Amino acid sequence: MIVAENLTRVYTMGRVEVRALGGVSLEVAKGEFVGIMGASGSGKSTLLHILGLLDRPTSGRVMIDGTDVLALSDHRRTLFRLNRLGYVFQDYALIGELTALENVYLTSLVRGASKAEYLERSAEILRRVGLGDRMDHRQSELSGGEQQRVAIARALVNNPSILLADEPCANLDSQTSRSILDLFARLNEDLDQTIVMVSHEDWHKEYFCRIVTLRDGLIEEMVECRKEPHPHGEA
Amino acid sequence: MPVFAGLRVSAFLAWKSIERGSRGTLALTIMIIALIFVNLVFLPSIISGVVETFNTQSIDFDLGNLVIEPREGSQYLDGVAGLQKKVERIPGVVGTSPRITVGVTYFYRGRNAASTLYGITPEDERSVTRIADYMTAGEFLSSGDTDAIVMGATLAGSEGEEVGGLPSLQGVGVGDSVEVAYPNGATRTYQVKGIFKTQSFGVDTAAFVTSREMSGVLGLDNQASIILVKTAVNGREEEYKTELLSYGIQEEILTFREKSGGFVDQAIQSFNIINAISTLVSLIIAIVVVFIVIFINTVNRRRQIGILKAIGIDQQIIINSYVLQVLFITAVGALVGIGLNAGVTTYLTAYPLVFPGGPVYPDVEASAILRSIASLFAVSVVAGYIPAWQIVREDILSAIRG
Repeated sequence: MIVAENLTRVYTMGRVEVRALGGVSLEVAKGEFVGIMGASGSGKSTLLHILGLLDRPTSGRVMIDGTDVLALSDHRRTLFRLNRLGYVFQDYALIGELTALENVYLTSLVRGASKAEYLERSAEILRRVGLGDRMDHRQSELSGGEQQRVAIARALVNNPSILLADEPCANLDSQTSRSILDLFARLNEDLDQTIVMVSHEDWHKEYFCRIVTLRDGLIEEMVECRKEPHPHGEA
Repeated sequence: MPVFAGLRVSAFLAWKSIERGSRGTLALTIMIIALIFVNLVFLPSIISGVVETFNTQSIDFDLGNLVIEPREGSQYLDGVAGLQKKVERIPGVVGTSPRITVGVTYFYRGRNAASTLYGITPEDERSVTRIADYMTAGEFLSSGDTDAIVMGATLAGSEGEEVGGLPSLQGVGVGDSVEVAYPNGATRTYQVKGIFKTQSFGVDTAAFVTSREMSGVLGLDNQASIILVKTAVNGREEEYKTELLSYGIQEEILTFREKSGGFVDQAIQSFNIINAISTLVSLIIAIVVVFIVIFINTVNRRRQIGILKAIGIDQQIIINSYVLQVLFITAVGALVGIGLNAGVTTYLTAYPLVFPGGPVYPDVEASAILRSIASLFAVSVVAGYIPAWQIVREDILSAIRG
């Protein structure tokens, strides 16, 4: 569960201060699929970066599964990201020198998993995201949709309690985007995976349980949407 | 996170980077490290070779291991036969050779040259020096010879050849007659019995007659200028000197190095300064090269480093992956360097450098190799760690945005 209280984030650019977040409070329950939406510059990515422990707020508090994550040292934050969070970037952020399989099992290596264990688990996740036959391909040999699937598989390999996705479909065509969102929906429905996803596409709303709309660094609207399983999410 | 797991990931990332990174850059970096290694090992090996050559040449052709000289104020050692017997009884002494030394002028076919003439007892000389084994023409002296002389190749010279200020009679051959003017005014004509070439310029510019002949000319009886002493083992001259002193030898005893008047020690000191400067420059080049390679590598991978941190890879693991790459490059570079050095050493053993003291063979000491490897690794690790540490400290989002 995520509890964010009164988060502010102010960037200083020379003499100019830019307020990206002006005091956002948000709770995300276990198993929710929350969409954070808003226009460009509304602060949605900044919020996700703070929830994903990639950035620190200027003020406020974030509790994830009962841990005050802002009080953690850099080393502990790194471990927290490794063990509890999965992060999917807009531009995939794969390691170009590694194959799809290696990208996925890299974090399992850090956790000290045995070779048999991490190979089996990574292969299974890649098969689940539809890349069973692309495991030994490197980034340059994969399409955008395939790269994003690898990124999702990497984010899921350590069974994170929360999956954070920052506009994961931004660089994909609508068909591929839909397949990615279907995959998220399935993860949410089947595995009760908590997902917080940033998007600016209106049609993505059909996938979210709840939509948080930001405007100028503040929550403009919070809407409960889907109550029933998404049809694409059914396995 | 287990420490071993961290190292395993560092090694994994390092290996993938080496395996799938630019082969050209890797090969070039390894070659630079190899050449630096060769430079670190080569100069000390030549210096060792020069010292070794000097020692060998001095002992084998010029001075033996120890030199017994008259006490201050005396020109000659007296009672040489008795002194010889006394010294030869000392354990570890394998031979002695009394020498009478004079500066003379040689005359040959209207040419003349001033140099040293030694009076020796041939069989004693053979027990100490190896000059007799280095005859290029004719034969060495025999004990009964009175009108024979053996001459160094430089002094004998070649027809029409100037030898850069060294004494040369320009073309003396075996059987030729050479006139010798002694410092007491006496002149003698000797027939050249042999010519030797030791490549030790101090020896090759001198000549030898028998002590019996020279004693007659100079009016000496059982006297010598010096006695050369050959010991069973080289390199322990100080111990033997102490041993001789403990046996009550009253005369001046010098090791061959002392007799050389510190010339070699000064030369070695100068060489060591040159070597220290060369080593320092080589290591600075190693630091700069490794630093630049890793710096460019990390700057080019800022985004990758940011991603690694974002997915939960500890920054120490990332730094260690670059340090491991450096260790790999240095290890392979050192191995290639050892190979190159073996090639250079083999070549210079077959075609040695020629110094005034004789041919110099590279003397590669294991300690020099180990020292070079250790210093290369030390500077490489530091030079690799710093740029990696600098980049890895960067904020995650800034790194990812590049």
